[in-house]
Amino acid sequence: MRASFNRRLLDQTPTLLFAVALAGFGLSTPAFLTKENLLNIGVQAAPVGIVATGMTFVLLTGGVDLSVGAAMFVAAAVAGKLLLGGQSLALAATAMLGIGAIWGAINAVLIARSRIAAFIVTLAMLFIGRGFALWLTETRAMNLPDSFLRVGSARFAGIPAALWLLGLVAGAAQITLSFTPFGRQLHAVGQDQEAARKAGVNTKRILTWTYLLSGIAAALGAVTALGQLGAVTPKFGENYEFKAIAAAVLGGTSLFGGRGAVLPGTLIGALLIQSIENGLVLRNADPYFYPLITSAIIFVAICLDRVRSAILAKRTRRHIRVEATT
Amino acid sequence: MTFALEVRGIEKSFSGVPVLRGVTFALEAGKTLGLVGENGAGKSTLMNILGGGVQADAGQMLLGGVSHAPRTPADAARAGVAFVHQELNLFPNLTIAENIFLTAFPTRSGAFIRYSAIYQRTAELLREVGLDTPPDTPVENLSTGQRQLVEIAKALSRDARILIFDEPTSSLSARECEQLFKVMGQLRRRGLTMIYISHQLGDVLRLCDSVVVLRDGIVAGSGPTREFTADRLVVLMVGRALTQLYPSRRGSARSEIVFEARGLGEPRVIHDISFALRRGEILGVAGLMGAGRSELARILFGLDPHSRGAVFLEGKALHRASPTERISRGLAFLTEDRRHEGLCLDASIADNLMLVALRDFARTPLKLLNRAMSRATLQKIRERIRLNQNARDEQPVRTLSGGNQQKVVLGKWLLVQPRVLILDEPTRGVDVGAKFEIYSQILELADGGAGILIISSEIEELLGLCDRVLVMNRGEIRDELSRPEFDRERILQSALPAELFS
Amino acid sequence: MESGSARPTTTRLLPGAAEFFGRLAQSDYLVLGLCVVYLASFAPFTPGLLSLENLGNLLQSLLPLSIAALGLTVVLIIGGIDLSITAVIGLTSVIGAKMMSSSHGWLADSAFAVPAALLAMLACGAAVGALNGIGVTVLKLPPFILTLTTMMAVSGFAVWLTKSRNIGGLPEGFSSLWASLWFATLLTAVIAALLHLLLARSVFGRWCQAIGFNSRAARVSGVPIQGMTFAVYVICGVCAAVAGILFTAQAETGSPVLGQRVLLDVLGATVLGGTSLFGGRGKIHWTLCGVLFLRLVDNSLNLLSLSIFTITMVKGGVILAAALLDAARSRLTISRK
Repeated sequence: MRASFNRRLLDQTPTLLFAVALAGFGLSTPAFLTKENLLNIGVQAAPVGIVATGMTFVLLTGGVDLSVGAAMFVAAAVAGKLLLGGQSLALAATAMLGIGAIWGAINAVLIARSRIAAFIVTLAMLFIGRGFALWLTETRAMNLPDSFLRVGSARFAGIPAALWLLGLVAGAAQITLSFTPFGRQLHAVGQDQEAARKAGVNTKRILTWTYLLSGIAAALGAVTALGQLGAVTPKFGENYEFKAIAAAVLGGTSLFGGRGAVLPGTLIGALLIQSIENGLVLRNADPYFYPLITSAIIFVAICLDRVRSAILAKRTRRHIRVEATT
Repeated sequence: MTFALEVRGIEKSFSGVPVLRGVTFALEAGKTLGLVGENGAGKSTLMNILGGGVQADAGQMLLGGVSHAPRTPADAARAGVAFVHQELNLFPNLTIAENIFLTAFPTRSGAFIRYSAIYQRTAELLREVGLDTPPDTPVENLSTGQRQLVEIAKALSRDARILIFDEPTSSLSARECEQLFKVMGQLRRRGLTMIYISHQLGDVLRLCDSVVVLRDGIVAGSGPTREFTADRLVVLMVGRALTQLYPSRRGSARSEIVFEARGLGEPRVIHDISFALRRGEILGVAGLMGAGRSELARILFGLDPHSRGAVFLEGKALHRASPTERISRGLAFLTEDRRHEGLCLDASIADNLMLVALRDFARTPLKLLNRAMSRATLQKIRERIRLNQNARDEQPVRTLSGGNQQKVVLGKWLLVQPRVLILDEPTRGVDVGAKFEIYSQILELADGGAGILIISSEIEELLGLCDRVLVMNRGEIRDELSRPEFDRERILQSALPAELFS
Repeated sequence: MESGSARPTTTRLLPGAAEFFGRLAQSDYLVLGLCVVYLASFAPFTPGLLSLENLGNLLQSLLPLSIAALGLTVVLIIGGIDLSITAVIGLTSVIGAKMMSSSHGWLADSAFAVPAALLAMLACGAAVGALNGIGVTVLKLPPFILTLTTMMAVSGFAVWLTKSRNIGGLPEGFSSLWASLWFATLLTAVIAALLHLLLARSVFGRWCQAIGFNSRAARVSGVPIQGMTFAVYVICGVCAAVAGILFTAQAETGSPVLGQRVLLDVLGATVLGGTSLFGGRGKIHWTLCGVLFLRLVDNSLNLLSLSIFTITMVKGGVILAAALLDAARSRLTISRK
């Protein structure tokens, strides 16, 4: 009884933290709880949320993708080049998604086919990608035409386009995870890859699609972020891998694979991280503190994950004696 | 007469070592075949070939008269070969229905799982195997026995033509075994063809229509079950009659108590465990799987915590001493889980043998090893445990047979000359020859004055070795028998649960 | 058995060749051989590769990297990983410079400035290592994500300390000694020898190996896992700090981003040398060979005046190749019964 209560409490921790953060900043900073600012938080959380959706898939398989930030940068750099070369917006956006897919495919081949640890493959890809994009942009910032910003700030039914996109991606992702064979098999792969393979699940196919989707999600995230920033800077996409992992893990997705959800988990995680950052900005906190705060949040998230899986392990442990409840 | 399965002249070698040498037998449709043999006789390889895990070098298999040569496990599954393994292949984070249909989900508009359909079909299958649980129950909420029934339901869902049980009872309670056998009986009446692999010869004789005995990759004997007795099976398996299974004991227990537990308890695990072990005494712990014997051993060795009572080694309380500390005070523990806790499989024989005793060969200040001394000791211990002489010191332990691996585990503890040795299933997965040598080592250690606590699921083994036997049941000691009182029936009675779980 | 069947055709058709490549992939001298082959094939096209001056540069850049990689080797052997090495290098650089800088250092112009700064730098490395060690042992967090977090926090802290500015004006005595080739070489040799003794000849090394191969079995065999793991992360942190001291001396400035680019080099060199990411397998001289190879590639591409971005990409490729080789190697060991 008690254990299951504890576990339920733990499952709700992100939501509670979110509520606490909203209340805390709301009380101390009047500008925080306005409708505009809340929408703003949502919009700012959209890129991380979309990237984190892809990351949730990867974490569910028991892997990790450290290259999402670099993938965003490469996609944005190519799009910037195209746009400044006079190409259309649609072509640039399509090119970004294409690059995301290719990027994911490279990761997928290396991880699914040659069975190297995902973190080492994607770490190498992080460096390769950032090197490549810096070379493309010649380490200069590129200001994009206003058209990109206009699309980025468009609203439908009073809700910013970025939020629509976030909702759409998260919804489609959760439906895929819960109601399709692919989604359920992905859970099996994350629980025990070898057992899934023996059971006849095409693990290579699952892993391939997972990293492919993560690459595409990273590219979509880059499109969303570009729509808000309007420029490709040498720091574009930096630390997105951390934020995406933090959002997913805060939302209850386990680093050990097999357990987690995009809705509401990852979405809440992304909103939580963004609210804290937004609140800090409103309070004029020292920007040099942000990395410290972000790492503190991730640390809390992985500790929560650890406690959660410990409780789960305890619960599944076999009891030899039935003790009278005292 | 139609044969469900015909195996003709199957041969297979690994790295030049023949494992199967012309295995031939046939299985009638609707019958159950018992497959027995020592570890390393080739049973697993044969089943792997049938299941598409590996390919035969030569020979032929016919499944219902049609050539069967699967390249992958998926091929074999499509051909109608289904397995119920000793390690269960279920995913605890998915529901029963999802586990059963994992690779064959029926979908709506090509994308979404038709949950109503799989729940309905799963409910039917669960009824067939006698499991009364909703189809959407997560597997993590099921007991081991229930999970095994789900495995069978899974096999039935595939319209399996041959169902292969690979050591299915090794982690089941007596009651769960009975349930399994009942379901197998029903399946047999329905005309399903089955292969049953087990070391429990009694079960094989009881359940099967015919028997195939493998020895060193050849069929040492086969025929209808009525032609066999357990004794004859053993003779065929080892190829020679065993005149004496247990080495004779020279010494006997002394009066001095070396190891003692007083009122040990841990909620939901063990309750009020007290016993005293004398120098030179061999004390057995009998009980069914899951009676808390291994858990007791882990608590005694300091691997798991306990909340009540105390453990004394040579009169001194151990309190919360770590395994490291307990070892230095003369305690040793041979675990039941050789692969995961007993050995570093990829490390060399030498490194594994020396692991516990390392500190004795170190010189300060950097704790550098005295290599000449350690090499000499290594040679001595290898001879003492009679390790396979062809194995090189630097060879990974993984390459050894089960029996030789277990000798390495025993050897590493013998090196530190323990005052008390706890052995948990010391001969599980070990061939007959190696068993005898392991018994000899245990007796020798006891004769030298060490206290031995030995846990085993084989009552025979305890009766053959021990001075005294404790019987555990649901985390408690239910009975204690000294040598003159030894009685199989009485041990079994105390081990069986008095009243069943609700 | 599974793995034996993974490559049935190769073993059957070309037993000799498979055996040969198996041996080669597992040889201690594979990477050293690669270095010689690389040198021989690039020297003719790369002007100045074999010049005395360039070889000096090569050695100088190789030393701090080796020390950091040696620390990582020990962590990899117990089956862990430390991604915070680069952050430690940055932090030690900043702390050391803050203490001894003659412009506005805390101990500016004091006689104890240099020794005190050195001690503080080592303490920094040990402290971060200890934090990692506690996270892995007490909190039981997965090392890669934990050290990734530490990396972010520590480098964030270093940047905050300096507000992204470099600190100059380091004492003459510090730079001249610690940047001198003979001293750095000697230091690296001593550390390498010490770690080699520990790993190959002592109880410590056997325990590390046992933990890496199978930590549960190690625990049952009485290996003090918690203490060992903690110690190993501290050793890695201290090694990173020593590397940080050398880097700082060579750059003659304290900078929070000093180590930023070397993570790939350190990890790549170690894995390339043959130390396994799966734990248990690793040797000091393997890592030294790995570092040599990676620096050789870096140095020759520099001489061919390729951009730093291209070089980063090439090195990313090298680490991928190394990881591929590692995976292939562990498969080979298992299948060679």
